[in-house]
Amino acid sequence: MDSKLMSLEEAISSYVQNGDLIGIGGLSFWRKPICACREIIRQEKKDLSICTFVGGIDVDMLVGGGCVSEIRASFVGMEVFGMAPHYRKGVESGEIRISEESEASIALGLKCSYLKVPFMPLKGIIGTDFPKVRDDIKQFEDPLGSGTQLMAMPKIDLDVAIVHVNDADEFGNGNIEGAVWLDDDMAKTAKKTIIISEKLVETEDIIRLPRRAQIPMQTTAAVVKVPFGAHPTSCFPNYTFDPIHIQTYLKTDFEEYKRKYILNKTHSQYLEEVGGVQTILNVLL
Amino acid sequence: MSEYSKDYTMDEMLTVLMAREVRNDDVMIVGVATPCVWAAFTLAKVTHAPDAIFHYIMGNTYVFEPRQVSLLYLEMNTARAYKFQNSGECTLESLPSDTLTTIEWFRPAQIDMYGNTNNICIGEWKNPKIRFPGCAGIADFSMFYSRGSFLYTPRHDRKTFVPKVDFISGVGFPDGKPSICGGSGPQCVITNLAYLTFDNETKRMKIGTIHPGIDLETVKKSTGFELIIPKDLKETKPPTEKEIKLLRGKVDPLEIRKLEVLGGKEREELLNQVIEKELAMEKRFPNLLL
Repeated sequence: MDSKLMSLEEAISSYVQNGDLIGIGGLSFWRKPICACREIIRQEKKDLSICTFVGGIDVDMLVGGGCVSEIRASFVGMEVFGMAPHYRKGVESGEIRISEESEASIALGLKCSYLKVPFMPLKGIIGTDFPKVRDDIKQFEDPLGSGTQLMAMPKIDLDVAIVHVNDADEFGNGNIEGAVWLDDDMAKTAKKTIIISEKLVETEDIIRLPRRAQIPMQTTAAVVKVPFGAHPTSCFPNYTFDPIHIQTYLKTDFEEYKRKYILNKTHSQYLEEVGGVQTILNVLL
Repeated sequence: MSEYSKDYTMDEMLTVLMAREVRNDDVMIVGVATPCVWAAFTLAKVTHAPDAIFHYIMGNTYVFEPRQVSLLYLEMNTARAYKFQNSGECTLESLPSDTLTTIEWFRPAQIDMYGNTNNICIGEWKNPKIRFPGCAGIADFSMFYSRGSFLYTPRHDRKTFVPKVDFISGVGFPDGKPSICGGSGPQCVITNLAYLTFDNETKRMKIGTIHPGIDLETVKKSTGFELIIPKDLKETKPPTEKEIKLLRGKVDPLEIRKLEVLGGKEREELLNQVIEKELAMEKRFPNLLL
């Protein structure tokens, strides 16, 4: 069996193309593949559509970096820290498009992808203004005759899924210790899946883990080892999110942020810049 | 029932009123960035609803035990679950169920007299004046709950209570009728001024009770549409001393709930304080409240 282990640079340059629909795992400030977002910005990828269940600094950073043309997320914000500034500006200025999503619209869109059906019926959304801004959804009556009104929610076929995990083997089995969110659906349905892992383990170790591999190797294209790769978001149970860096992000002009934390920075240089050992001790659980 | 407290703040009033809506057999959804809701559910759990179950969106977990509200270590609470799900399962299973998930609080940016809500944008969707983070699951869940949906806002003013919302992202009683999806619709709106409910016949918003120290004129003036006013207008029962003691002492001693209420510099100072205190904690598991 061939190893899929590669550098972050190689994984992003090999598997992320301009214009792709990219699924990003995690939720809000939790277990987001932020090191991959920084690499996408470094490689100046353009015109990406970003799909994520709940977005935060991941989406905001990619918008700030000029990599994004469309967002598909049920929520993009910085939680108790406030609004996502670049996302907000991008939408308000018309620079980026939004496909207005709910939680179920994304969950069902990915289910469609498994089943290779163009849509799934949802008995929700009905009564909202979603149909006014989504010309790809449609209310219809149950064709089997119950009279039920339903909403047809379209398939979401990801070109690439990028997920951050606790443990992975070099063949692409990935284990998530905390909440999985939509990561497994994204990883299993995307054409190409990149796993970023805190730790590299033997397949034997994955088999012994309580919940084994939520992400099976046969759908994984690349495995990248990046400890603290989710920083400044969390990776339970290793570390929590870094509130101080999130505040720094919100206070710093993006061009300056990019120079200081993204461009021409190795991962260890990045960790030094964000506060080094003290920051690591802060976030360790 | 212990004595009513004479010394409470607005965030405590909101939190206590929200807690009182919880029943012992409820499954309580704790969403993202809503510490008031989390504090309210935890308070309910340690007072009158010991069997209620937490359903954490941030963990996609069902959790039985109550722990202290936390900003940095909330995953420690959610990961001690008796059941993990992924978001797909969680959203799709819970959506039409009367048992997997029963009570959720929504905080609208705008609300109309029929309880339709907006968390999407101010102004036209295509060209918004303000783009909000989005409605997350509100568009899916608001029309489904058999217990109905529960609303709150610490900003009872004409910007929030509007004649027409700019975008319907949460369904109330469309045109004064229950949603065709079968849920019971909005049950109440808890604000910094009053406890609002919905009229059985017309489905229009009406005043339930007014908080102590607030007069009717203030409530009317702060609402952008006509509220139904009951003949015998009563005062809201304030938090009890026991509720306040538990909230301050056990449930949320760092006052994280206040982040939902404060603004500007005050808010920033509190946020810094919470971060500093939590980073200084040696033990990173929030206290178990049993």
